Formats: sequence, structure tokens, C-alpha cells
Amino acid sequence: MPDLISAYRPISGVPDEMVAPDGTVRPGWLGFMSALDRLGPEELTARFQRSDQYLRDAGVFYRMYEGSQQGEREWPLAHIPLLIADEEWQQIEVGLTERAELLESVLADIYGENNLIREGLLPPELVAANPEFLRPMVGIRPMSGHHLHFCAFELGRGPDGRWWVLGDRTQAPSGAGFALENRVATTRALADIYSTLHVKRLAGFFRDFRNALTDMGGNGSGRVAILTPGPLNETYFEHAYIARYLGFLLVEGEDLVVLHGEVMVRTVSGLKPISVLWRRLDGDFTDPLELRQESQIGTPGLAEAVRRGSVGFVNSLGSGLLETRALGAFLPAIAQSRLGRDLMLPNIATWWCGGAEARAYVRNNIENMMIGPALSTILSIDDDGETQDAGQLSDSERAALLARIDADPKVFAAQETVKLSTAPVYVGGTLEPRPITLRIYAARTPNGWSIMPGGFARVGYSLDTAAIAMQRGGQAADVWVVSKTPVEKVSLLTSANKTIERNPSGNLPSRAADNLIWLGRYAERCEATVRLLRAWHLRLAETGTENLPLFEATREYLEPLGIDTAEPVPQGLLAIIDGAVRSASEIRDRFSPDGWLALTDLQKTANRFAKTIKPGDDATRAMTVLLRKLAGFSGLVHENMYRFAGWRFLEIGRRLERSIQIAEIASWLCGEDAPDGATEMLLEVGDSVMTHRRRYGYGHGNLGVIELLITDPLNPRSVMFQMSELLEQLKELPRGYVDGQLSPAAKATLKLQTELAVADVEDITPQMLLDMVMGIYNVSDLIAEAYF
Amino acid sequence: MLYDVKLKLSYTYDAPVSGGRHLVRVFPVSLPNIQRVIASSLHLEPGPAENSEFADFFGSRVASLAYRSAHDALEIAMTARVEVFRTPMNVSNAPDSLTLAEQIAATWDMGWRSPHHYLSTSPRIVLTADITQYARQSLTATSDVFAAATDFCMRIHRDFAYDGEATLVDTPVTEAFSLRRGVCQDFAHIMIAGLRGLGIPAGYVSGFLRTIPPEGQPRLEGADAMHAWVKVWCGSQIGWVEFDPTNAMQAGPDHIVIGYGRDYSDVTPIVGILRSAGGQDTTQAVDVIEVN
Repeated sequence: MPDLISAYRPISGVPDEMVAPDGTVRPGWLGFMSALDRLGPEELTARFQRSDQYLRDAGVFYRMYEGSQQGEREWPLAHIPLLIADEEWQQIEVGLTERAELLESVLADIYGENNLIREGLLPPELVAANPEFLRPMVGIRPMSGHHLHFCAFELGRGPDGRWWVLGDRTQAPSGAGFALENRVATTRALADIYSTLHVKRLAGFFRDFRNALTDMGGNGSGRVAILTPGPLNETYFEHAYIARYLGFLLVEGEDLVVLHGEVMVRTVSGLKPISVLWRRLDGDFTDPLELRQESQIGTPGLAEAVRRGSVGFVNSLGSGLLETRALGAFLPAIAQSRLGRDLMLPNIATWWCGGAEARAYVRNNIENMMIGPALSTILSIDDDGETQDAGQLSDSERAALLARIDADPKVFAAQETVKLSTAPVYVGGTLEPRPITLRIYAARTPNGWSIMPGGFARVGYSLDTAAIAMQRGGQAADVWVVSKTPVEKVSLLTSANKTIERNPSGNLPSRAADNLIWLGRYAERCEATVRLLRAWHLRLAETGTENLPLFEATREYLEPLGIDTAEPVPQGLLAIIDGAVRSASEIRDRFSPDGWLALTDLQKTANRFAKTIKPGDDATRAMTVLLRKLAGFSGLVHENMYRFAGWRFLEIGRRLERSIQIAEIASWLCGEDAPDGATEMLLEVGDSVMTHRRRYGYGHGNLGVIELLITDPLNPRSVMFQMSELLEQLKELPRGYVDGQLSPAAKATLKLQTELAVADVEDITPQMLLDMVMGIYNVSDLIAEAYF
Repeated sequence: MLYDVKLKLSYTYDAPVSGGRHLVRVFPVSLPNIQRVIASSLHLEPGPAENSEFADFFGSRVASLAYRSAHDALEIAMTARVEVFRTPMNVSNAPDSLTLAEQIAATWDMGWRSPHHYLSTSPRIVLTADITQYARQSLTATSDVFAAATDFCMRIHRDFAYDGEATLVDTPVTEAFSLRRGVCQDFAHIMIAGLRGLGIPAGYVSGFLRTIPPEGQPRLEGADAMHAWVKVWCGSQIGWVEFDPTNAMQAGPDHIVIGYGRDYSDVTPIVGILRSAGGQDTTQAVDVIEVN
């Protein structure tokens, strides 16, 4: 027996996932724990840190809404996976398939023929008063013929050793992407052990579902898109991750438009049809015209598109109804009526207090009940706001609760108090039992429901069953379904008997293109500002005084840009970096994790510097560090991003901003009344000191500088160079060249380029440079007009 | 009674609108024992890029419009010829509220006329202790739900001042209630909230009202109005009865129905999502002219 297991103390009377009630070790665990034993605590700790490092590097996070820890939180991985034997898992699969089918038929009936209500199997109040019952969807048959395509189930093992369903997630279940990340992070640490156990792979599930969604769109040209509420959503990371992993478009409501009942996405190549929307927002938010009128994240006309059968939703609008807590009270009878038997995987016992008999039962057994809103769609164990564990209440509190139920019984539902099994977590070198629930995903495919084999368990932070909620500090663990025989190894990348399918390019949503331009602009603006600040502090360190005309002039230049030179790392600079991060966060699906990491690292470093850095030498060095990090980011983008339209927009943003910055600074530093040392500073900001020295030695004064930074076609910092690059990119964009005609933006750029090409260096005045800046702004407007 | 109904809604926008989608619910519909629509049509200026129709959950006839080119004004003109048959009901056999609750529980139906849709909160209706308590006074003298609804309708008319300046189209029912003033929409919402608080199903009716000019004065062009009143479920025998708390009466031969809903949000005459920066001005003219 491995030491880790012999030292493990499960709680008496509570089922444990590793150690059975008779003290024997469940299948799979013995080999797994022996392997951990052999590694020893030091190696294990190092390996678990590798998992955590992976999650940090990949930028896996979710958003906290409550309490003092609002904001993004790192994904809390419990490093020990939960092992489940394949034989047991297969029973779960059969049970969940049966359950998913029953739920489909219930939903189809509620929005269709209404036999369940007519037969008295479902109280009409639970539907009519339910905010998830979307009346505009009544009588509409979904395009695919099915309401449910992707569901999640939360399972717990009760004291009797059976699995029970704690909740059905049918609205827009989140977490499948996190399951993938759990797997990657866990196997990062335990790859050798993983490969010796026969653990079922997750990729096949995703491959099947991707193919099912693609098929669902039919043979038309319509595409599949994932509809997200946007970066402020708690699981936005996952939306972007799944979109990238499966190769689907990630769109927000404002990216879509409905034309004659057809859903289109606004892309830089014009409107493109969408036929399947995998939505990650609640159904009623999808259409402000016909559903929730105050929704800011929907698209007017989507309900009409559904009515016309031109778009399929995963899941259908209105499917959130099935998450209603009180519905659980009626599923057993519905199963009996429709299947002629009990469900293999029943939900935990539930009572709707609107029924007199049920109310009496709740009253007599209240100490074993969780009591809360009948129409709640939150699991009882996650709902510390409105659901009360009546067993924990004092007599007077209990009496008050009963009085509230009697006053308005229909709004209350009771559920048997949840007791969960435990599984081992690794705490300081030993294993301790913690309560767990399984989160299992089911996807509809042409061959029936496919159940994701493992991936996601929630683990409590204490022995309290209510300590499961991630929002309150619970953890997530990978789930390994362990087979006795070798398993099929699948990957999304290899499918031997299929030709390679390429996603059509040119379907870059306009909003994404806009954000890419801004990311490029902010990154470039940041660089120019940092260079200017470095030049400032270098001179400050050299001269020891700020009372020189050059300082005065620089201050006057920076102030209107929101940069206060009195701060070594100005707030205005931090705001520019925040802008870059914000733009990048909008397009996480098109952005490599490394690029994201480089950018957030820059942000963290700048914020840290802002607290500690002193003016002069210190700040000069700090700016050099920031420049290096920026260069790292730019390099990653330049070397790693595929030359899709997306990269071109990023590049366009950079070129626009760099030309604006150089032309503006040059117009100010090259005037007749420019202060002493201005041209040297300009060369530094333009990163062209060395080139200048090599080409002109120490003579030629202003003219050499102007030539180098404005008209030189070979200097990658010159305005001329930016115009040439800009023109190249604009030509390559969709609709950049139509019937031999340049697009308006490209034409305007060509004019600016020509103007610079024919200008004599002596004729370049500050006014001409400012006119040039206005011309560049005009190009930017023309791009926006054409593509956004 | 035979009427020609004319409605003209005019919108002018501060800044040109680049496009937009609208759902328009202004057509009267044929309803057994209430009214029959002989003909109706809609005229739009400018003409929309898309114009289609569908019937919504509550049976309303909805025009779905989309605009794509820039415009700075929109005019929606509806004309209809409608025959109205109904006269106020005299009801003596209405159930008490306990019997009503039993009859509701025995209704296993989810069609739009089912009382179940009109019992709980809805987008514009919240049930508050204040409004329920106010409504309950109508149940103290009588337990008959029809009599209670009639009494409640009269009390709203008596206790609330008609004031077109006091509220806006999106004023919450609780605010209109505490102001003790408002317009037909506010009074309808208050009556609905109060009755639902008592467990009596109540819904919103959107329509037109013919106004009869004072004796000896000519009828003024466009002086009639879009109007709102309340429908109340008085048990499975009697069914729905419509009350007009603004005018302290049952709906009668001068009330022409456009459609029903749980509250204003289900039957808003025009719902629009515009791509625009500025505000807008609206005018509304209604003529309900008796045809002899």
C-alpha cells in the first residue's frame, strides 16, 4: 500500500472516491498513488508548480463577481485528478444520455404541444411565471429539429453510494474549455503517470461536437459562430479558448445583423451568413427587439431569424427553463409516464411547495431540507444568497421560514440536503478528503449524445458541502476515466481519413479588426511615450536640473497627451498600456497565449515601477526595461502571427500610430525655435541615433535628421517607410483592390506617400508635417468607414 | 358600432438614423364577441427595406420593419374599419377569491388566454405590499371578484389624478403609485399589480378610445387617443372582463382593441432599435370616426 493512501483518513460514514467503505482501494488509484509515492514530496511539489505555471502562462482565468476579490482570478487547479473506473463511467454515460433525451422531450413539449401540462404532470404556474419561459419561442420548431445540443450535468455521490444529479445545465453551460485546460495542466505535471494508465482522451468529444455543429449548418455557406457576451463575462476566457480550439468564429451581439430573417456577421470582407450560433449568453438577452428589451448585448431580429428557421441556436432560446429548480419535483413522474420507468440517473429529491402534499412533507422533514426560490436556476449548494439549509436554522428561524412558505407557497422549492462523497486533495505532503461534485458535458451528435469522458470535478475548500462553489474559493480537478484496456488516442489535428478542411479566411469580424488596429496603435503609442520619457530622464540624470528649455518644451508636448513628467512612470503611460490590454482582451481568440502573456507582463511591470521608481537614472533604466518588454511583445506578434487579415489590421494600427508620432514630434522639435538638443532627442525617440551617425557623421544638423526620419524610404522609423508599409497592407486587405482600383484609404495613403517622395528635404516645414498628420487621421477614418 | 380608425405616428430624429428595426403593434384584430376587423392597412414613409408580418404569442398582429438607409423622420399611418359589438356586462354570479383560486388551479392550459400568464411579476409589473394592500380594500366589502374589480377600477379613478406631465412611458408602476398620478398606462399597470397581488389574473389591453365631444361642440381632428385598459379574469364561467380605470368604466362600444399582454411591454405600439446618436420627437394623432 502506498504511504499516501495508508496515511489517508476518509471520513467515517461518507463515501470516498479512492477508498471504498470496506477499506479497499478503488480501481486505478493504487497504481496512481504508488507512482506519486515514488516521486516523493519535493518532486511532486515541483511538478504541481509546473501545472500552475502552465495555467498562468496560458492566461487561464475566470472572473469573480463577489466580495473583495472582484476581478480576474487564476484558475484554482486541485492537482490530484479524480479517478473513476470506466465501468462506472459507462453507467453514468447511459444515465445521462437517457436524461438528456427526456429533458429534450420536456422542452419540446413546453414550447410545443403542452401535453405535460394538460395531463397534469407539470403545473402551469412553473412555466407561466418563469422568466426563462420565452413566449416568442412558443410554437417554433428549432431549425435542427432539436432544442438541446450541449448540456452539462452536476453530479454528486450520495451516502448510499449512488450518483445523483444536483442540477441540469441547459441554458449555456460553461466550463468545457476549462475541462480541457484542467487536462493539459494536470498532465503537464503527471505526463509519465498519465501515459501508463489508460485514461480516456477528451479530444474525441470536441472533434465530434465540432463536426456535429458544422453539419447542423447544413450544406449552405453558413458558418458556425460562438456568441459571447464579451470580455466582462466571468467565463470569457473559455469562450475565446473554445473558439480558437475548434476554429469557430467568436462574435458578440453587435457583430451580427439580421437581413430578411438571415443572420449575418459583419466582417472586413462584408456581411457573411451565419447558420449556427453556439450562444454563451442567456436566451432572453439575445434579442432586444423581441425578448429582453434592455439587453445591450443582443442583436435585434435574432428571434425572427429563429422563427424563420434560418439559424439554429445551441441551445434553443428558452432552454434555460429546464434549469428551474422546482422542475426536479416533477421529472420522476414525467419519466414514469414517458419512459415507463425511473430515470437511471435521477435528480436529488425535490419538492415544490405549491402542492399541498409536498408542502406537508417539507414541513414534517424540514430539518433535512434546503429551501429556496422555486424558479431559481442556481444549484442549492451554490446559492448562499437565497437558499437556506433549514437544518442549520434555529427553531424560531425555522418557524419564520415555514410562515413565509405558507404565505406564498408557490414561490418555494425544497431539496434534500446534499451530502457529497469525498476525494483526496494534496495538502502539504499528505492527502486530505474534500467533498466533490462532477461536472459532465453532453453533446448531441448525429450518432446520439456524446458524453465528455471526465475533465472536470469541483472540489470543496473545506469539508462543508457548501464550500464547492468556485466563486467562494472551491477548486477544480481533472477527472480521469481509467480503462483496463488501451484507449483511442485522438487529437483535433489528426483525422486520417478526412481531407484537410481550411477555415475560410477573410471572415474577420469588423469589431475584432477595430480592436486589432487599436492594439497596434496603443502598443506603438506606448513605445513612443516610453522613448520620450527615457530621453527626458537620461538628460535629467546628466544635467541634474529640469530648468532647461528642452525640458520645458518636452513637458508642454507631453502634457496634452495626458503624460505628467513629474511622475517617473506617469499614470498616462499606464492608461495607454491598459488600453492595449483592453483591446487585446477583446480578441483573445485571435491572439497567441504568449503574446497575451507578454502584454500583461508589461502591464504588471509598469504598475510595479509606478510605485517605486525615482526620476533620473532609475527611471531611465525602468524605461529601458519597458522598451525591452514592448520589443518582446512586438517580436512575438511579428514572428508568430499568421498573415491573415487580422495581422494586417494590427500592422496598420502600428504604422498609423508610428507615422503620427514621428511626424508630430518632428514638427515640434524641428521648428525654427526648437530648443537646444531637440534634434538629438528626436533621433533618440526615432531610434535612429546610430544610423544618423553612420550616414552623416556629426554634421548636417537638422536636414539630415529630417531626411532620416521623414523622407528616407529605407529607415523603418521614417514616416515615408510607414506610408509604404501602410499602402502594402491596405492593398492586401479584402476589398483593397477592386477592379484595378485602389480602395479610398489606399488612395489617400498613396497621395501622402507621393507627397513625401517628391518633397525636397529643405521644403519640409513643421506646418507640412502637421498637415501630414491630418492626412494620416483621414486615412484612419477611411479605413473605419470601409471595414467597421 | 362601425368605426373608421386612423392612427398616425410621426417620429423626427435629431440626427439622421442610419438604420433600424421596429416591431409595430397598431392593427386592431378580430375578437369573438368584441369586434370584427373589416379591413386594415399600414402606410410607411419612408418605405422600409423589409416589411413582414407575424402573429405573436398573444395573438397580436405585428409588423416587422427594417430600415437600412439614412432617414431623419418616420411616419407610420394605420387605417382600419372595425365593427364593435360589445356593451358593458352585468355580472352577478362571479366567484369569490377562494373559488377563483381553485378554478385557476383547475385550468391546465397554456394558451394566451389562460389566466396563468397574468398572475405574477412581468417585465413592467412588480408585486409590492403597498399596492396589494391598497387593492385589498376592494375585497373587504365583497368577496365577489367581479364586484371587487369594479370597485378597484372606480377607486383608482377617484384616488389618482390624470396628469400627462407626471410620468413617462417607462415610469415604473411603483413610482406612478406613490405619485398618485399618471396616464392610462400607469393606471392600467397599477390596477394589474393590485389585482395580481390579490391572486386575481389581470392583463394589459392596448387599443383606441373614441372620445365624444362635449354637447354642441364639433369633433376635433386627431383628438381621439391610443388608450390602455385592463382585462380581469372573473372565473371559468365568466372569463375575461375588461375595465377602464382611466374612465371608471367597463370597456364598451367605444373601446377598440389592438392587443393583449401581461403588461405594456408585451404590446408596445412600436418597439425600435435604432442606430442613432441623437434623441427623437414623437407625435401621435388618432381619429375614431363613426360610420353610419
